[in-house]
Amino acid sequence: MGREQERTEAAFLRGEVGVDGVATGREERDEAEVECERAREQLLRGRTWLGREFLTWMLWRSESGDPLAEWESAGVVVLFTGRLVLRGIAGDVIELSARGALVGYAEQVRRALDAGLLVHGARLRLTHGEKVYEATVDAEFLDVRAAKLPEVLKEAEDDQTLERLYLTEQLSGMLDALLAAFIRVRTSASWMREIVPAMRRWMSADSGVAAIASR
Amino acid sequence: MPILRGAVTFSRFRVDGGDPSGIDTRRWLVQGLRKKAFAPLDPGCTEEDRSAGFVELERTDATTFGPDLFQGEYALFAYRIDALRVPAAALRRELEQWAATFRVEKGRPPARAERTAQRVALREALRQRVTPTTRVHDVSWNLKLRELSIWAASRKAVEEIAATLEEALGVDLHPLTPSASAKLGGVPDDALAPTPALMGPGFGAREVDHGA
Repeated sequence: MGREQERTEAAFLRGEVGVDGVATGREERDEAEVECERAREQLLRGRTWLGREFLTWMLWRSESGDPLAEWESAGVVVLFTGRLVLRGIAGDVIELSARGALVGYAEQVRRALDAGLLVHGARLRLTHGEKVYEATVDAEFLDVRAAKLPEVLKEAEDDQTLERLYLTEQLSGMLDALLAAFIRVRTSASWMREIVPAMRRWMSADSGVAAIASR
Repeated sequence: MPILRGAVTFSRFRVDGGDPSGIDTRRWLVQGLRKKAFAPLDPGCTEEDRSAGFVELERTDATTFGPDLFQGEYALFAYRIDALRVPAAALRRELEQWAATFRVEKGRPPARAERTAQRVALREALRQRVTPTTRVHDVSWNLKLRELSIWAASRKAVEEIAATLEEALGVDLHPLTPSASAKLGGVPDDALAPTPALMGPGFGAREVDHGA
């Protein structure tokens, strides 16, 4: 077998040419398809959809300004502020990042939610009694990023450390309480019957920024 | 030291196994941390370009884990990562200088093997002169609640620290993700499949099956 023939044979075995010796032309996967596949993986990895549904539910509920959960005998009021990241798994847009004081309640964000994107990351302001906390959280791990804690009052350094840890624990506790409130709703019969239709109506309604701004 | 001051960024874990509430917690913890204690890099004696391990919270070159390890219900310590990085630009510059001198002295450009040997020698010389970069990530562990926080922004660092702690102490660290928290609350996985009505038109039965 000549060298050229061996080369042709090997190319055929690799699937690069057909029996006629003509290049088969590999099917290139569509770029959008690859992106959507990656987005799907992100949604399913670690059951991230649950975190996205949680943050989206919280955005919807927070517009009223009412406490969303109870923590240590006081209500936790949530406000979405600053940056918001939305993610979806299909369509032309699979990630959207928005910035603004009350961006979560903007009409553009609702429109994106209506199109099937969900909140993946958000900056939250949590008011608990007289104390105000801020933190950026993500849907996959519920990690806390760049949190702002209420002012530490103790003067001795050791006491300051413990107070800071206490405030951090309070922040974690509030997030847990909010998540527990969501899980209760999410596992109830009213989730599919009442809550989801109400959220869908809210997503397709007009902007609520003016209402939030007046608070 | 973000536990003490600065930006508050952390990932939370639930700790299972081990004996964090036993009688001799202090000894158990100190022994575990010492097993994976930080050892400084010594470029002269080792070829390693990276060293990582546990250190004390406030003295990041100490690994004795004295009485300061505990504050209230917490164990507080840190994980230090030192790395030696030879700057590629400096290596290239020195190699070019050497090649120019070689050409003048020998009247020919260096052969590929000579160039490779010189690159290795120059890299080693530069490595001896480079100061390691140090990153320190705090760890706070509420032994009573069995909750541990790793104060790091990088997910890679968080995962490395969690794996090292599991190995050193024989504990299991479970990230407190929404799904894991629901499971801890007694909610079965199949009760929390994705909600198709919120996922948009591209969402199909495949994902629902996966969720359930």
